[in-house]
Amino acid sequence: MTTQLHLQIDDRSGVPVYRQIMDQIKYYVAGGTLRPGDQIPSIRELANAMAVNPTTVVKAYSELEAEGIIEKRHGKGAFIAAQAPALSVVDQENALRRSAKQLAVEATQLQVPSPKVITVVREELGALSPERNDEDAPVKFSVLGGDRAS
Amino acid sequence: MEPVIHCHQLSKSFRFKTVAVNGFDLNIPAGEVYGLIGRNGAGKTTALKLMMGLLRPDGGETRILGRNLWNATRAERQRVVYVSQGQHAPGWMTLRELGRYAEHFYDQWDGDLMREHARRWDLPMDLAVNKFSGGNQRLASLCLALASRPEVLLLDEPAAGLDPIARRELNSCLIDALLRVEGCTLLLSTHLLGDLERLATRTGIMDRGRIIAEGSVEEWQRTMRRVQVVFPGSEVPPDFAIPGAIRTTRLGPVVTALVRVIHDSQLLEVRSMPGVRVNLFPLTLEELFVDWFRDSTDDALPVPASPLGQPGLSVAWKQT
Repeated sequence: MTTQLHLQIDDRSGVPVYRQIMDQIKYYVAGGTLRPGDQIPSIRELANAMAVNPTTVVKAYSELEAEGIIEKRHGKGAFIAAQAPALSVVDQENALRRSAKQLAVEATQLQVPSPKVITVVREELGALSPERNDEDAPVKFSVLGGDRAS
Repeated sequence: MEPVIHCHQLSKSFRFKTVAVNGFDLNIPAGEVYGLIGRNGAGKTTALKLMMGLLRPDGGETRILGRNLWNATRAERQRVVYVSQGQHAPGWMTLRELGRYAEHFYDQWDGDLMREHARRWDLPMDLAVNKFSGGNQRLASLCLALASRPEVLLLDEPAAGLDPIARRELNSCLIDALLRVEGCTLLLSTHLLGDLERLATRTGIMDRGRIIAEGSVEEWQRTMRRVQVVFPGSEVPPDFAIPGAIRTTRLGPVVTALVRVIHDSQLLEVRSMPGVRVNLFPLTLEELFVDWFRDSTDDALPVPASPLGQPGLSVAWKQT
């Protein structure tokens, strides 16, 4: 089964495009949207859909394969590996840390007090999915980032 | 094997004007997407015209697919396509007529592909091209260029004057062209550095007629960081410097610098200073370009030396 994937490139993040593709596929696996055995788009499809150089997609897929997250089946395409390692807590935190640092800088520049920043983050999380408006709930990763430049 | 695009010590000056291209070296192997960037007046357009044989060089040599296009035959030229900055197709013809006309000059002409791109870009087939808007005239030229299924594409600021949607479509069509022809090689000059992050495998920065820096966008993004060191509630020590900093600015207790971080241990000493906070931020190609070249027009301030030119790194910086 091919899963409809919604991947986005953020032109303002400074993170290499292949890394952004890798991260998002990892987040989909961690969040359960992509399950072992699911087929992911071919290099050609993804390059066309996202308007990125096919060699960039090749690089992202090769690294994901090296990390054991996807496997290539000859003549059939790429699939999520049976034993795709789950995103560790550390990975999850690192992924968030990047955006959090930027947020912290902006909040400091604007002189917004910390409790207000926390409130804003909580509201934004709540707006995305109401049942997550709970500080213990896991964070949904697939909504991070965005194609802000277009 | 000779690279698809080869230039060696090209030079060109114009009357009444200073040197446009000087000591220009460039080698692009098959299948590469090469982005040529630089300030206005750096010589990008002249360099492209020299490669296409539209201008005769004062010195040096240039070949595409092994041929000097200055004296190449039509058959030799037809695998190479160039879309210039101000180029508009003959305005009184419609796209359909232009297609029928161009068909005779290109063995690989693909009329279906031309119509497909025209549909994608909403270009009318039966309206005189000079009735199109400026942006659409540009797209019409690109439409014709892509329909010849070129092996080598030279584009001079293809996205100038296009709206964001058209720009996106243009990028997709370039990807499509790459996927369609095995080993298709693309050289484009642009100021849209965000697009290059998606498209380019390698990027060269041109300054005063030559390429002064060349490397993969990815390598730059992986290693170049904006490092911010905060001394909360205390003065910045007067002799404080971040190791590997290329440019540094200070604002109150905050020191911000453009740094090539080769290894995290580079910042160990700074991190271990008591009470100091260190933040690292990734940079977009655009931020890097702006930070790096902020003062490069001032001859008294040389292009910052070396940190990108260390052995074992794929990025080569040439000193002017």
